[in-house]
Amino acid sequence: MAKYIVKRFLMMIATIFIISTLTFFLMHSLPGSPFDEERTSNPTIQANLEKFYKLDQPIGVQYVYYLKSIVTFDFGPSIKKPNDTVNNLLARGFPISFELGIITMLVAVVSGIILGTFAALRHNGIIDYFAMAFAVVGISVPNFVLATLLIQQVAVNWELLPTATWSSPLHMILPTLALATGPTAIIARLTRASMLEVLTQDYIKMARAKGLSPVRIVVRHALRNALMPVVTIMGTMLAGILTGTFVIEQIFAIPGMGKYFVESINNRDYPVIMGSTVFYSAFLVFMLFLVDMVYGFLDPRIKLHKKEGEV
Amino acid sequence: MKKFLMFLLVAMLALVLVACTTTKDDGAEKDKKKETEKDDGKTEEVAEDDEKADEKILYMNNGEEPTSFDPSVGFNAVSWSSLNNLMEGLTRLSEDHLAVEATAEKIDISEDGLTYTFTIREGAKWSNGDPVVAGDFVFAWRHMLDPETASPAAFLAYFIEGAEAYNNGEGKVEDVAIEAPNEKTFVVKLTSPNEAFLNIITNPSFFPINEKVATADPKWFTEAETFVGNGPFKLASWDHDVNLVFEKNENYWDADKVKLDKVHWAMVADTTTAYQMYQANELDVSGIPPELAEQLKDDDEARFDDEAGLYFYRFNTSMEPFTNTKIRRAFGLAVNQEEIVEFITKNGEKPAHGFVTYGFIGPDGKEFRDSVGDLVKFNPDEAKKLLEEGMKEEGYTELPKITLTYSTSESHQNIAEALQGAFKKVLDVDVELQNVEGGVFLAEQKEFKYQMSRSSFLHDYADPVNALESFITDSPMNRTTWSNAEYDKLIADIKNETDEEKRWELLKKADELLMAEMPVFPIYFYNQSTLEKPGVSGILRHPVGYIDLKYADKN
Repeated sequence: MAKYIVKRFLMMIATIFIISTLTFFLMHSLPGSPFDEERTSNPTIQANLEKFYKLDQPIGVQYVYYLKSIVTFDFGPSIKKPNDTVNNLLARGFPISFELGIITMLVAVVSGIILGTFAALRHNGIIDYFAMAFAVVGISVPNFVLATLLIQQVAVNWELLPTATWSSPLHMILPTLALATGPTAIIARLTRASMLEVLTQDYIKMARAKGLSPVRIVVRHALRNALMPVVTIMGTMLAGILTGTFVIEQIFAIPGMGKYFVESINNRDYPVIMGSTVFYSAFLVFMLFLVDMVYGFLDPRIKLHKKEGEV
Repeated sequence: MKKFLMFLLVAMLALVLVACTTTKDDGAEKDKKKETEKDDGKTEEVAEDDEKADEKILYMNNGEEPTSFDPSVGFNAVSWSSLNNLMEGLTRLSEDHLAVEATAEKIDISEDGLTYTFTIREGAKWSNGDPVVAGDFVFAWRHMLDPETASPAAFLAYFIEGAEAYNNGEGKVEDVAIEAPNEKTFVVKLTSPNEAFLNIITNPSFFPINEKVATADPKWFTEAETFVGNGPFKLASWDHDVNLVFEKNENYWDADKVKLDKVHWAMVADTTTAYQMYQANELDVSGIPPELAEQLKDDDEARFDDEAGLYFYRFNTSMEPFTNTKIRRAFGLAVNQEEIVEFITKNGEKPAHGFVTYGFIGPDGKEFRDSVGDLVKFNPDEAKKLLEEGMKEEGYTELPKITLTYSTSESHQNIAEALQGAFKKVLDVDVELQNVEGGVFLAEQKEFKYQMSRSSFLHDYADPVNALESFITDSPMNRTTWSNAEYDKLIADIKNETDEEKRWELLKKADELLMAEMPVFPIYFYNQSTLEKPGVSGILRHPVGYIDLKYADKN
């Protein structure tokens, strides 16, 4: 087990290294520079700025600086927000995105599994139709449409909740709803599909024949197996949601880190692109690693370590 | 089965509740902490509550986090909106958009127009109580020009003797002609007379910096606790990426004129959300979202102010067929600016028939734009004729393929499509549209890769020459490859002319020549469209300048 973890850990490092190297060279192959603006382009000013951010150095030297910044996890100051270092931006934005993400995931997982399970148990019944209709709407309506709609109805017309910003628990309700609907729908559909499959398995019939209570059958035997596909997608979903969602954060003016991904690329803000990419990929790789661990826990047949399995 | 369902439901509900309550508690605790942090003590909190009823708080939206409150570095509107109210330079723009005495109470200009002597106002104080001294200006301006600061604003100070050399690393700081012979006197020497100088120094990059504070703490501008200003308001709190709160600065020399007690700035980037917050009374002022422009333009709460700048198109005068002036003119005259403003942008902008915008008053008291008149005006017959003549001159039987390029955005696309339609209808020319990502677009436009491309210009200072000088040979703002010796000379003459009337005549000539040669053609002049709640008054918006809340009031 320990050996496996070490191996996986080394692979994680290698993955992050490859991703960040690719990002670095892709980023520099993009035409345009952070100082390309409509109005200012005085050559002296440009030279001073380039020197300040070490962009006047050859690309190889910049790459070495950059590798150093990954190892020390210090990406220096942002070009577009010179007040802040990249570390600062991430340290400020990530907890907020994380908070929104965790609440969203909790809502999505809990309600998605409930909806999916009920739909499967009442296959082709009213609950099933309702749940699947919800799922179709949830998947097909983009969250930014839902967000604007929620603000207009709930906050502006009914005056029940505040419109935007991230300052109190009440402010969190609308963005959570807008963000959770899509994942809830996906989880509900997945749960329903695999639940339906599992319920026809022989061991379920066996369990029924043995006279186990329905609750025990569903929770202990069916759900545990039905959740495998859900766990599979949860890793990427979590990494995606926890590191911030640009559109929802933009609409609700939530100061998370979602915007840095998008804006930094538009602005060619190299340090921020690199910092957020490395951070995001490290996080994603770590989530995938966690998911593998959970697999082993849910399904003892999946062996984390081959040798252990053979013995 | 039912029992099981009930169990599951209750279990899940419990889980949700637990999850919600823990996070809610977290949130509440955080809020409480913030409150106590802000008010250090209960007695104050009570006092504040009592005052709240008649406190005047204006709720504004800054769109996003200001990039920097170092006045030399924060060179953009999101920083200026704050800096212009937290600090003050030697001059400040009046209600009539003229630069008048501010931190300086007296300004003496030498006969030759080169030496400016400013006397710092007796009562001018920093928000920490220190007096504002001439040395604070010397310190700040040197800081801006220091190549190590890498200030994007430094080029504005190149009018000052020795400034450019110091900024590009060739000269020494001592050779920059700014000095403080005593605490209250500040002297600047320019390289050539400049009508716009007093206007240029209203830009926040020319604001003073408290030398004592900045030497003790070089990062003084990053947090509210350490920020020291000399403007109508002081920075009470700055929750990064969330909001800014200003309070009236009692140390400001003109504090009696300041009516607001507090200004609250949200940072909401999405224009629709900002508008919805405005509807829900969470904001007093908001922009008009483009998609609602048509619906809101006649609203009582909507207001439109001139903004010196314009939306225009560039031709590449080295790329066929736009090497020919007549063909360039044909394309320019095929465009109906009135229609674009009325049916495409729909935001109350003024159609542009010349390159210099509205808002510049000449020595004769007349608006520059009006006295020059319409230089480019929709004229389909003339356009057709010019195209024919131009094609004959070049020996074309068929026009070379034309591609029009714009940067990705819905509004740019709409205008590009309108132009495409106009060229087809008026000239019977098929123009291909090309849409390019913003960063790539700017880089490639500067490399002269586009035949015809969209552009915009916003003034750095309030003088027509600022717009016109963009098109002198090899200017980084030119981006058309156009070069005209007569034009270059006109601009040089304008810069050396001290006689106001003669200078104004030269400016008119330059605008006429630029439009006759037409390396660029104008579409519309920008404006600032805002919604303001009834009861809000006195917010100053200048055609060139920064929002000013000094005289703002809310009832």
